[in-house]
This record gives sequence, structure tokens and C-alpha cells, in this order.
Amino acid sequence: MDPDAVAKAFVEHYYSTFDANRAGLANLYQEGSMLTFEGQKIQGSQNIVAKLTSLPFQQCKHNITTVDCQHSGSGGMLVFVSGNLQLAGEQHALKFSQMFHLMPTPQGSFYVLNDIFRLNYA
Amino acid sequence: MDPDAVAKAFVEHYYTTFDSNRGGLANLYQDGSMLTFEGQKIQGAQSIVAKLTSLPFQQCQHSITTVDCQPSGAGGMLVFVSGTLQLAGEQHALKFSQMFHLMPTQQGSFYVLNDIFRLNYT
Repeated sequence: MDPDAVAKAFVEHYYSTFDANRAGLANLYQEGSMLTFEGQKIQGSQNIVAKLTSLPFQQCKHNITTVDCQHSGSGGMLVFVSGNLQLAGEQHALKFSQMFHLMPTPQGSFYVLNDIFRLNYA
Repeated sequence: MDPDAVAKAFVEHYYTTFDSNRGGLANLYQDGSMLTFEGQKIQGAQSIVAKLTSLPFQQCQHSITTVDCQPSGAGGMLVFVSGTLQLAGEQHALKFSQMFHLMPTQQGSFYVLNDIFRLNYT
């Protein structure tokens, strides 16, 4: 399986889900998953989804500019994304960078073990 | 050992070395190390250092804005950095994001297994 294709498919799925139904992200994380969101550290699928669904906007749209990926050893994959985030009602889009460390599930898909998100301020 | 302190120390060491003596980065990478630099994929310490020492500027200064880290499983550490890069003679600094996946060495330090670098264009 081509890692670049896997990374691209994951990224599309992740951000479509985020933009349409943030609670649907729950099955992309597990108990040991870690999110650092703008410096705040959160652990476990439940807490992570609670954080993401409580972000102070109703609607958003991610536009992805770059996706890079590498094997992380032990079957995992690192995915590094940059793009912009348009919040409904805001005039200017925010720029962001995000990295995911994906680990394979027994069912043949991936879950997010590590997730770090940062806005890129101008 | 506090992971945040380890990450911070690594980042300081990495960018100080980069800014003063890029050839000195060689002992931070090994044969299996991977760098993706602005989308270009490079493997192995020798090729990585050849790429970094051949970048088209003599002098640069990295200024770090944020450092986030998380354990990656299997003893590794993910470090996510954002900052600016001032090239000598250029009026405006470039913004960048970079992620490192550090693995422990037998001597008790770390080497870079995965490295992904992207400029953040405004």
C-alpha cells in the first residue's frame, strides 16, 4: 500500500469528518491517543472529542495545502499537514499546521495515536 | 526525565548546530533516518547532511516560537516546532514548521529517525 496514498486518504477523511460532524472523529482515536491543541495536552478519545466538539465555532472548513508522510517505525505512519481553516462568519482564514502519528488497527485501517495542532500566526 | 525538557534541549541543540555548523548535524541522523524537506524525500545521514549543507544560503538564524512534544510509543518522542528562519541578507524572515521523531540511542541520547520541514508561506 502506497504510504502517500494512505496519508492522503486519511487526511481527506479526517478533515471532512471534522468539518461535517466533529463527534464522528471519536472512532479515529483510542484510549492511549494524545492531542496537543495549541499547547493544551489532552489524552484519550473521549477527552479529545470533548475538546474538539467544544471549540468555539459552529462551522468550519479546512483547506489542505501540503501533506507529507513517512513511516515512523513499528508499523506507524507520520503525517504532516499544513493548510488553512475558515471559520463561518470570519473574514480571514486561519493558517495551521498539524501532525498525526497513525497506527494500524487489527481491522486494517488506522487510528490516531499522536495529534499535535498549531495555528500559524502571520 | 521530563519529556518537555528533553524536547526543548534537543530543539536548542539542533538549531544551534544548524545555524553555526550544518555539517555537525551528521551525528543526529543515522542510516535509516528520513528527511522530507519542502516535499523532497531524502534518506540516510549522509544524504540528509548533503542536502542541508547545500541549501542556498551561507548563514541563517532559527528563532523558535513553539515546541510541542508527545511520546510516540516504543520509546520514541515526537517534537513539533514552529518558528522563523532569518537568512543573512534577506529583509523578511521565513516562517516554518518542522516535526522530528526522536529515538533513543544506546548512549542515552537521541537521534532523528523522522524529520519533516515545511515553510509556512503567508
